[in-house]
Amino acid sequence: MTPSLDTSHSAANGRPAAGRGRRPHLIYLAIGFPPAAKSCAYRMRETANQFRRIGWDVTVVTITAASWERDSGLDYSLLDQVDPEIKVVELPLAREDLETDIRQFSEERALRPAKWLTNLRKREKRIFPEPVFGSWRGALERAVLDVHRQHPADLLLASCVPYVNLAAAWKLWELHGVPYAVDFRDGWSIDVVNGGQAFTPDSEAGLWERRILDHCQSLWVVNDPIADHYRARYPHVADRVHVVRNGYDRDSVPAIRPRQPDPEAGLTFGYLGTVNYTTHQLGVVLDAWREARKQEPLLRNARFEIRGHIGAGANREANGLTELIREAAADGVSFGGPVRKAEVAETYGGWDALVLILIGGRYVTSGKVYEYMATGLPIVSVHEVDHDASRVLDGHPLWTGACGLDELRLVESFRAAARMVVEATEEQRDGVRHHADPFTREILMRNAVAQLAAHALAEPHDLPVNGAVVQPSAASSTMEQDERSGGVRA
Amino acid sequence: MSNVLLVTGVSPQAGILSTAVQRLRETGAQVYLVGALNQDEMAEDLRLDGVCALPTDIAKDSPTRALARQVPGERVWSRIRREPWAREQARTADVLVALDAHAVYTVWRFAQRNRSADARYGIQAAVQALTDRKARHGAGPLQRLANGIPSTALVRQSVNRLISGAPRAAVNAVTARPIMRSKAGTQLWLTALKAPKMPDSVRTKVARQVAKGMAWADRPDGEAMVLTATASKLRKPAARARMLGEAASRELKAGVPPRDLDGAVEALLKVADQRHRADENVAAADLLNRAMTLAFDRVLHIDQLTSPLAEDPEGFIAPFRRSLAATTVASPRGRLQPAAPPPTDRPLRLLIATSANDNFLKLIRSYYDAHPGVEVRFVDLAANAALKSVTWASKPMLEHRLSADSTAYGDKAEERLRPYLDWADTVFVDWCVAPAALFTMVDPGTTRIIVRLHSYEALSRWPYMVDFSRIDDLVFVADHIRDLTTTLVPYLKGPDGPRMHVLDNAMDLRGFQIDKPAEARFQLGMVGISQVAKDPRWAIEVLRLLRKHDERYRLLLVGGDMNPNVSVASREYLEAFNRDVREFEADGAVRRLGPTNEVPKMLSDIGVIISSSVREGCHCGLMEGAASGAVPVVRDWPFFAGRPNSARTLYPDGWVIGSPEEAVERILATTATEEAWRAAGRDASAYALREWDWSVVQHHFDRLLLES
Repeated sequence: MTPSLDTSHSAANGRPAAGRGRRPHLIYLAIGFPPAAKSCAYRMRETANQFRRIGWDVTVVTITAASWERDSGLDYSLLDQVDPEIKVVELPLAREDLETDIRQFSEERALRPAKWLTNLRKREKRIFPEPVFGSWRGALERAVLDVHRQHPADLLLASCVPYVNLAAAWKLWELHGVPYAVDFRDGWSIDVVNGGQAFTPDSEAGLWERRILDHCQSLWVVNDPIADHYRARYPHVADRVHVVRNGYDRDSVPAIRPRQPDPEAGLTFGYLGTVNYTTHQLGVVLDAWREARKQEPLLRNARFEIRGHIGAGANREANGLTELIREAAADGVSFGGPVRKAEVAETYGGWDALVLILIGGRYVTSGKVYEYMATGLPIVSVHEVDHDASRVLDGHPLWTGACGLDELRLVESFRAAARMVVEATEEQRDGVRHHADPFTREILMRNAVAQLAAHALAEPHDLPVNGAVVQPSAASSTMEQDERSGGVRA
Repeated sequence: MSNVLLVTGVSPQAGILSTAVQRLRETGAQVYLVGALNQDEMAEDLRLDGVCALPTDIAKDSPTRALARQVPGERVWSRIRREPWAREQARTADVLVALDAHAVYTVWRFAQRNRSADARYGIQAAVQALTDRKARHGAGPLQRLANGIPSTALVRQSVNRLISGAPRAAVNAVTARPIMRSKAGTQLWLTALKAPKMPDSVRTKVARQVAKGMAWADRPDGEAMVLTATASKLRKPAARARMLGEAASRELKAGVPPRDLDGAVEALLKVADQRHRADENVAAADLLNRAMTLAFDRVLHIDQLTSPLAEDPEGFIAPFRRSLAATTVASPRGRLQPAAPPPTDRPLRLLIATSANDNFLKLIRSYYDAHPGVEVRFVDLAANAALKSVTWASKPMLEHRLSADSTAYGDKAEERLRPYLDWADTVFVDWCVAPAALFTMVDPGTTRIIVRLHSYEALSRWPYMVDFSRIDDLVFVADHIRDLTTTLVPYLKGPDGPRMHVLDNAMDLRGFQIDKPAEARFQLGMVGISQVAKDPRWAIEVLRLLRKHDERYRLLLVGGDMNPNVSVASREYLEAFNRDVREFEADGAVRRLGPTNEVPKMLSDIGVIISSSVREGCHCGLMEGAASGAVPVVRDWPFFAGRPNSARTLYPDGWVIGSPEEAVERILATTATEEAWRAAGRDASAYALREWDWSVVQHHFDRLLLES
C-alpha cells in the first residue's frame, strides 16, 4: 500500500528529459535510510545528500520508521544531517517474521513457529527470489510507479539489501524506461561471509541478477574483491562495475585527542557496531581479553565496553551474546547498548583502543573499519587474516594485525595494543588520521554520485542493451515493451 | 503499576533472565514468571514478585501418548494451564511475555482469555509495551477498545473486513469473547453469515472462524447455531451436509445433544448415497462414518439417563435402513462353506479374541486352558500392533464394504487374520464391536465364529458394521439385550441369522460368601457408580425415604465417581448427586468408598444390595451382592421396563420393584428383624449360586463350544 504523495509537480507520461527548466529527479530505493539505526543508513544518507548537492530532486523510498522498532531500532539523530529538501516516502512494510506482538500471530504461527517461518519463506520466494523480503515486491513496484507518475524520474538508484528493490527498479524501467543503477554494496550472487557464489546463474535469483545487470547504468560495490567477482561473472558489464567504498563520516571521529591514557585508572577498549557475530567468536575474544588482563600489567584495570545493537525481533538484547558479556562483567566487560549517531564521536573519545570484530573474509569490508582508522586509536583486529579490512588497515602503524581466532595471538594483540596506547606518539596518531583522509564518505560519494548523475543525464543514451541503443525517454524509445521486459515478469 | 507475566518453555539463561527482570522492574512493573526454570542456576539478584517454577523439560517429548503427539509449544501450554496460580496471574496481567519460542503458544492462549493484556515476544518488546501502556493510560474510547469490548459499529465494520479476507489477527479481534457472548454480536454474525451471493468457500471459511470464536467464548450452542445457519445457505449438498455434521459434532464434543441430529445424519447419509452411486466410495465411507459417529455418540446413549435409540429403536435406526450406503455395508455376504463340527480326533482349537477388555474372559480362559478337550489361544487385538492397526479402522472398513469387498485394507485384514482362522476350529470374539466387524470382513472358511454381545454394543454403531451372516453363534448375556439387538438388526431374526444364545457371565460367586456382621442389616450398598446410567440418585432417594422410617439405614457406595467431563449430562448429574449426598455424607449416612479390588470384603458389610440403573445387561455387581447374602433390591431398569424381557424376567419374583417407595417397602420388610434379613439373604445367595455361579454356567459354555 503506497501512501499518497503530495508532490505538486504535474504528472507526465514517460520520462521527460532533464535540463529544460526542471531539476533532474532521483528515485532512491533506500530501505534503511535514516532514522533506521542501521550501518547502511550513513551510506544512504550521504548518497541522497550528494544528489541534492548537485541539484537533483531526491525522493527516497523506504519503510515506515515504526518497522525499524522491531528490527535494528531507530536513531533520530541520523536525520540531523539529511538534506531537508529530500522527500521521503515511507511504505507501511515490515518484516513479518520479526513481529513481536503475539496478538498478531495466527494460532498456527504460535503453535509451530518453525513451520510457520518455513512457509513464510516459501511464500516470499514465490513472489521474488529473496526469502525475507520477497512479499514487498508489489508495494515497492506500486510505490515507484506512483512517485514517477507524480514527479517523473530521470534515474532510479536501488540500494540492496533488500534485493527485492530490483523488481521495482525493473518495473519502472519496463513500463517507463527510467534508467536505473544498483548500489549492490556487498553484492548478491556472492556469499561474502563464506566466499563462493550465493546462487548459480541459472537459478531464479541468477536470472534476475543477470537481467538487472544487463540493463543497469552502473553497479556499485564496496570493495575490489566483490567488484572482481562481478566483472568475472558478467564480463559484458565489467566497465559499469564501480567500487564505492563505505568510508567514514568526519563527524563520527573526535576532532581533537580528548583523552590521556591512564593505565592506573584503567585503559578502556571499545567496540562499536552491530554485534552480529557468533557466540564462539565473542567467546574467543573474551577469553583472550581475560588472559591478556592477567598477563599484561597495563591491562590490569582495563575495561572493555561493547556498544551497538544485539539481536532483532524477540531476541533483541536478550540472547547468548548478552549472556556471555554479562558473565564477563568481573573482567571489566560491559554492554552499553546502541549509540546515537550524534554521540559516536564522544564515544570514541572516551576510549583508548578499539577492538574490530568482523565476520566473513576477503569479500567483507564493513564500514566500521574506516571510522576506526580515522580515530587514530590502536586497533585490535578479530577477523580472518584474508579479510578486506586487512587490506584497508595494511600500513596502519597502530594496528596489531589480523590473526583470525587464534586465542594466544589475540592475547598478544591486546597486550600490544595496550603498549601502543601508552607509547604512541602524536605524530603516529596524526599519520593514521591522515591515512584515513581519502576514505571520508563525503569524498567517496561525491565522486561516485557525480559520475552516475552525469551518465544518467547524457543524451542520447549510449548504454548498449541487447545490441540496441536505449533511449532514455520512454516516448522516444526504440524498444518495444515486450522486448524490454525480456521475460522477467516473474 | 503494571503486572508482567513472563512465560518460559525452556529454562532461560541466568543472565538473560536477570537482565530482563531488571529492565522490566525499572519501568515500575511487578514481574511474575511461570514455566521451565532451573532455580539452582538463577542469579542471586533475580528479583521476581512471584514465580511458579516448573521442570526444565516441559517442552520435551513425553512418554504419554497424548503428549507425544503434541508439538513443544502445545506441551508447554498443557503443563502450564494446569497451574491455578499461573491462570490467575494470566487473567490479571497487563503484559504477557513469551521469553522463548516454545512459550509463545501459551502466551497466545492466555491472551485469548485476557483480551486487555498486551502479549509480546521478547524482552525489548515487553519493555516497549509497558512504555506504550503508560502513554495511552486513560485514553477513553481507545481504552475501551483495548479492553476488548468493541462497539457494535466496530463489529459491523469488522464483519465486512472478515468476509473480504482480513488477516487472522483481525478475525480474532472481532470474534472476541465479549462479542460472541453478546446478543448483538451473535445476531450480527448470523446476519453476516446468511448474507446472499456469498460463495460457499467464503461462507464456510467465515463460519469456521466465527464458530471458533464461539468456542473461545465457551458457547458450543453458539458454535452449532452459526454452523447450522451457514449450512442452510450453502449451495452444494456435500458442503451443507458436512457443515451440519460439524455443527452436531461440536455440540456432542461439548457434551450436549445436538439440536438437529436427525437433519445432520439424514443429510450426510443422502450425500453418502450419492457418492456411493457414483462409485466414489472413499468419500461415501467418510460421509457414512460421520453419520454413524454422530448418531451413536456416547453423549446420546451412554452418558444420559435416556437414549433416543432405546426409546424408539426402529425410528432411530430408520435413516440408516433407508440409506443405500448403510444397507450396502450391512448386507450379508455369507460364507462359502459351513463351519466344520468340532473335531473328534484331537482337542478343539479355540481362539479367544478381544480388544483390550478381557474383564469377562478370565474364568473362561483359565477353565479351558485346563480342559483336556480344548487347546486355547488368546489374542488381544489391541496388544498386537499388526492387528490393532486394522481393528478399529472404521472408515477403511466401511470403504471396503462399499467397494464390493475389494480394497487394499481388506487384503491387509485378510492377510493378518488368515493365520488365526486357519489354526482355529472356533473363534470366540468377546464384545460385539470392532473385532467382531473385523473377523466378519473375511470369509472364515470352515472356522466357526462365535460373538458375545454384552450390553452397550447394542447402543453403538457396530451392529451395523458386523456381518452377522458370517457368525455361527451369537451369545447374549440377557434376554432383554437380545430383544433389543434383534429389533435393531432384523436379519438376526431371519432364517439365515446366526444361532442365538443367552449365557450368563462367567462369575466365581462362591468367593463372595463371607459372613456379614449384624450391623450390615442396615447398610445398603451399590457396586459401581461411575456412569450416569447407574443412577445412584435413585438409591439416594430410596435412602431418604427409608431414613424417614429408621435413621439407622446408611448407604455405602463402592467404586469411583463418574467423570464430569464426558458430557454436560454427566457433569450436571454429578453436581446434582453431590448436592444430594452432601448432607447425608456429613451425617455419615452415605459413604463413598472409592474404587477397590476387594469387592467381596466390601460386600461383607452390605446387607442390602441395590441396582438402581436405568439399563444393564445382567448387572454383575448386583449378582455378586446377592451371592454374598445381601438382600437384592433391583429397580425395574427403565430402558427395558414393560417389555417382554427386562429386569423382571432376569431376576426372581420379588427382587425387582418399580419405584423408590416399593424399594423402601421391600427393604423394611426384609430387614425388619435380623432373622428375616439373614433368611432373605440366604435365599438370594442360594439362588445366585444355583443360577449364575461358574460351576453352573461352565456347562452352558461347554455345550456351546464343544457340542456339535
